[in-house]
Amino acid sequence: MKKILFSALLLTHSFIQAQVDRSIMPKPTEAKKINISESQVFTTANGITVILSENHKLPRVAFQFIIGSDPRIEGDKAGLSEFMGSLIMSGTEKRTKDQLDKEIDFIGANLNASNSVVNLSCLTKHLDKGLELMNDIMQNANFPQSEFERVKKQLQSNLLATKSDAGSMAKNAVSKLNFPKHPYGEIMTESTLNNITREDIIASYQNNFKPNGGYLVVVGDINRIELEDLITKYLLAWRTNGPIFTNPANDGVFPTGNRVVFIKKPGAVQSLVSITYPVKIRTGEQDQLPLKVLNGIFGGGGFGTRLMQNLREDKAYTYGCYSSLRITEFGSWMSAGGNFRNAVTDSAITEILKEFQTIKTDLVKDEELNLTKSSMAGDFARSLESPETVAEFAYSIIKNKLEKDHYQTYLQRLDAISKEDVLSMSQKYFTSTNCNIVVVGNEEIIESLKKFDSDGKIEFLDAFAEEVKDIKPATISKDELIEKFLFAVSLTSSAKELAKKVKKVKSYERVIDMSSPQIPIPLKMTEYFVSPTTEAQKMEGQGMVFQKSYYDGSTGFKFDMQSGKKDMTAEELASKKKSSGLFPEMNYKTNGTNYELTGIENDNGNDYYVLKLIEGENVSYDYYNTTTYLKEKSISIQKVGEETNESTTTYNDYKNVSGILFPHSLTISVGPMNLIGNVSKMELNGKIDLKSLKE
Amino acid sequence: MKKYILVSYFFATSLVAFSQKKIEYVEYDLANGIHVILHQETSTPIVAVSVLYHVGSKNENTNKTGFAHFFEHLLFEGSENIDRGEYSKIVEKNGGELNANTSQDRTYYYELLPSNQLELGLWLESERMLHAKVDIKGIETQRSVVKEEKRQRVDNQPYGSFFTEMFKRVFTTHPYNWAPIGSMEHLDAAEETDYINFYKDFYVPSNSTLSIAGDIDIEQTKKWIQTYFGSIPKGQALNVYRDFIALSDANFEKTYSISKSKFDALNFMNPKDPEAKKILATYAAKPIEIKRTQKDNTVLTSITKEVIYDNIQLPAIFMGYKFPEQLNTDSYAIEMLNEVLSGGSSSRINKTIVEKKEMATFAFSFYYGLEDAGIGIFAAIASQDVNLDSIQREFDLQIDLIKSELISDEEFNKARNKFENDLVSSNSSIAGIAENLADNHVYYGNANRVNSMLDNYMKVTKEDIKRVANKYLTQDARVILHYLPKEK
Repeated sequence: MKKILFSALLLTHSFIQAQVDRSIMPKPTEAKKINISESQVFTTANGITVILSENHKLPRVAFQFIIGSDPRIEGDKAGLSEFMGSLIMSGTEKRTKDQLDKEIDFIGANLNASNSVVNLSCLTKHLDKGLELMNDIMQNANFPQSEFERVKKQLQSNLLATKSDAGSMAKNAVSKLNFPKHPYGEIMTESTLNNITREDIIASYQNNFKPNGGYLVVVGDINRIELEDLITKYLLAWRTNGPIFTNPANDGVFPTGNRVVFIKKPGAVQSLVSITYPVKIRTGEQDQLPLKVLNGIFGGGGFGTRLMQNLREDKAYTYGCYSSLRITEFGSWMSAGGNFRNAVTDSAITEILKEFQTIKTDLVKDEELNLTKSSMAGDFARSLESPETVAEFAYSIIKNKLEKDHYQTYLQRLDAISKEDVLSMSQKYFTSTNCNIVVVGNEEIIESLKKFDSDGKIEFLDAFAEEVKDIKPATISKDELIEKFLFAVSLTSSAKELAKKVKKVKSYERVIDMSSPQIPIPLKMTEYFVSPTTEAQKMEGQGMVFQKSYYDGSTGFKFDMQSGKKDMTAEELASKKKSSGLFPEMNYKTNGTNYELTGIENDNGNDYYVLKLIEGENVSYDYYNTTTYLKEKSISIQKVGEETNESTTTYNDYKNVSGILFPHSLTISVGPMNLIGNVSKMELNGKIDLKSLKE
Repeated sequence: MKKYILVSYFFATSLVAFSQKKIEYVEYDLANGIHVILHQETSTPIVAVSVLYHVGSKNENTNKTGFAHFFEHLLFEGSENIDRGEYSKIVEKNGGELNANTSQDRTYYYELLPSNQLELGLWLESERMLHAKVDIKGIETQRSVVKEEKRQRVDNQPYGSFFTEMFKRVFTTHPYNWAPIGSMEHLDAAEETDYINFYKDFYVPSNSTLSIAGDIDIEQTKKWIQTYFGSIPKGQALNVYRDFIALSDANFEKTYSISKSKFDALNFMNPKDPEAKKILATYAAKPIEIKRTQKDNTVLTSITKEVIYDNIQLPAIFMGYKFPEQLNTDSYAIEMLNEVLSGGSSSRINKTIVEKKEMATFAFSFYYGLEDAGIGIFAAIASQDVNLDSIQREFDLQIDLIKSELISDEEFNKARNKFENDLVSSNSSIAGIAENLADNHVYYGNANRVNSMLDNYMKVTKEDIKRVANKYLTQDARVILHYLPKEK
């Protein structure tokens, strides 16, 4: 009775302020106990571990299949499993892609797949159809050729888009720097994508998609009997197919000292900074929870973290500065950073490094520890609203071999974490002196970043974390360069003089004494030239001829001890034609050579103009000294069948021989092999006998 | 063929027994005008506390844009009883999560808390409504933060400016002309009084909806609401209170012709002085006039075509049409039209432009329905070496097709199934339920609309879809933007 009167009174006198002191923050009432419902776990005859978490609140069900195999190293086919994952829904033995899309969309289901997981969610009434489709994809995917080509083009476009997306560029750098010889560190590039064939994809699918060792996580409006019926109907026929692939992988690599890595993004108004390094821990290990607490205090989300308080609230350098501690089965890493306007990028890096150092040195404060713990406790409670959470817990317990009550006791374990625990975590896992400092941004800030690098040298990467050389634009044109080179090497200063001198050279013979740390005997290379376009080469040692080549303007051959004598192909002849003559540069302009001056590069302390030549699939780079204009280096990249061969030749010690400068010391590097050569004889217009060479 | 038709009829009829669960709730108004909606759900011990203020960028002046979104940030600065920087910490310290968002039409704030912290949530949001800190210090801090947000979300993002570029050309006279983030110049030039006036004009009880969902006891919740929100002064008395806090003695006296000393700082609404009492009663009786915008009935009359250069690798095309506001009864048919055109992998745009013809890496259509008007958008990011005009021709072919022929039974039932699926998911979290109830009350004047959503979509016919395509996809009146990479 009283209660009703009281509330009626309140309503009629609602205008009068109920006497509450607003300066006092309300206290909580008693917390309700968390109860995590049990999941049912069983194994099928063909080796699938099934986890069922029933939840009948809403009429929908979710299925997730996770393969048992671990990630593999892909090398020059980096991106293979990613490509396979993009194609797995492109068609099956029973259905084309169009049919699959239609049937999935028709029941309003979400069905997606990657290279290791297949997800289905749909309303209960469509479940049978949904599972039939999911199963068809898992067991019968057949990767049609047309889809292979279509998706390849899409991936190529995506790779192109990466070049203007700071987030992707940073992600690639972080992965590769932390995990250089590890599946995580392999980045798909235009060239690795080109190496992947449809057969590779089919093999990858067959090797990875098998029932044995896999997990099926089921959540929602379905009971055990219904599930077992559906499994019998669709999944039992899936045959086991050999053992699963296991590779726990290494823990990643720390840089020695701080390492600044810069990726250029022209026109950027902000820099994307990521300070990153590996963390030696895997899922399920004892330190995982206290490490999460440490990261929560440091920068793991929310507004009250060390990073946010410093870089956003105090200094307003950014909209958001966070740290992410990713702990996975195959390796873990820390990365901290955000987007900072150009002018304060270096200050932001200083502050982040300072924060790493501080948290390794001093105990955290009670207030921030409690804030993080409460925040994580709240996250945990809120996550229970989603039916998937309970199933994830059951899966995690099995996969990581955790205690059965691991999640039921989560809140107690979390509560027990002390400041001392947090300090021991930061001392064990955090660093401020062995970090990869990745910056994606505008080149105007490069100078300001040098101070962070332990050896003062910034490394430059492209969008795919490949090394890039720092190129400045050239101030002269490609034809001006060529003219300067020709004048320099012929000791002339006009086209007329040059032509006259060149005409005077009817032939030359050059003998180079060569040695190599990889070859125990001394070698001799002899080069012949007969005007206008005949040239020949011979490499011999201890009386044996190892290699020869010959070209006379229309025919030619190559010889080596292993494969014998081979005539030059039409392509090789065409290529030779463009690069023959005393100075091939004289003819570039008129003989259709594809050449461009890419800019000025600094190599070993000297500046060079770099002239790039493209001939079909082969590329070469010639380096002309910007002061003397003499050619001092040449890099040649040639495709031979499936392989790419890169060789580098250097030319030094130019000496005047009958009025023309010729290099007198050379080095040649091909793969692991290095040759060092000194010219012992250089004769112009002598007698040349090529008969014995031609045999 | 026959088999399909039979199957689709079966599905159409089976939908009668639909999967939608009815959402029960309690709703009422406080004397000061706050609309309250309460939904109880005890399965997980959490609660969502949210306040929707019916103010967005469309309520701004043309030379003072960005205020509504700016306030979204400013309201984290604290209040008379909450120190600067403490608001978020309090929520996190007590196991909660919080955020806010601003659109052209509304600003929405919410906390998700453990259910035993409901009183805390009510106190927090009522503090913001009654006397948030709106002062120069907070303004200066948040100016830098908003600048950074704009850099990150718009300036440094490929295609980030498309939103602004499209809206300003489709809405030439209506305030939808500018984006919620507004202009940094306007925000910098504005003074403290401008910000205070915005707060006084829009952050008032009669302009707000309090929506709570989760593990709550309805009776106890009502009591707390009365304590924390019922006590917020009614009508213009609220602003007398706010002036009392913010103005100097001299300025207060100049404005109200009464000295501050006549009021009781600890019990403002119940002064002993009869003159003060009279003034409060007078002002309380006067409602705060909220400046509302009009529905935008303008139409585009020609094709506008522009080229915009951006830091991108792949060109993109964006087309915009003037569509009706979300309240218009055509909006359901429009959404279904959109689903057929670009919903899912089997949709028309995806199948032709992306998959069969490989002209785009990404292509979609989208209906942006706001309170006063809407935009229909078609967008595609071109594949390498594909010309934007050729993509436009493909879009045009699809548009012509859907205008001239009815969609198939299969496409029709597919769309219906999709909406059913989405609606089941949209009410699967208490945060989503709280927001849906608030939105439906504010925009449609009917929170119960959450329970009739499926009906609305099921009433749409194939003919409706054809009709709205013809009415709104006006090929001779649209905006076409070509995004091209900047010259290196």
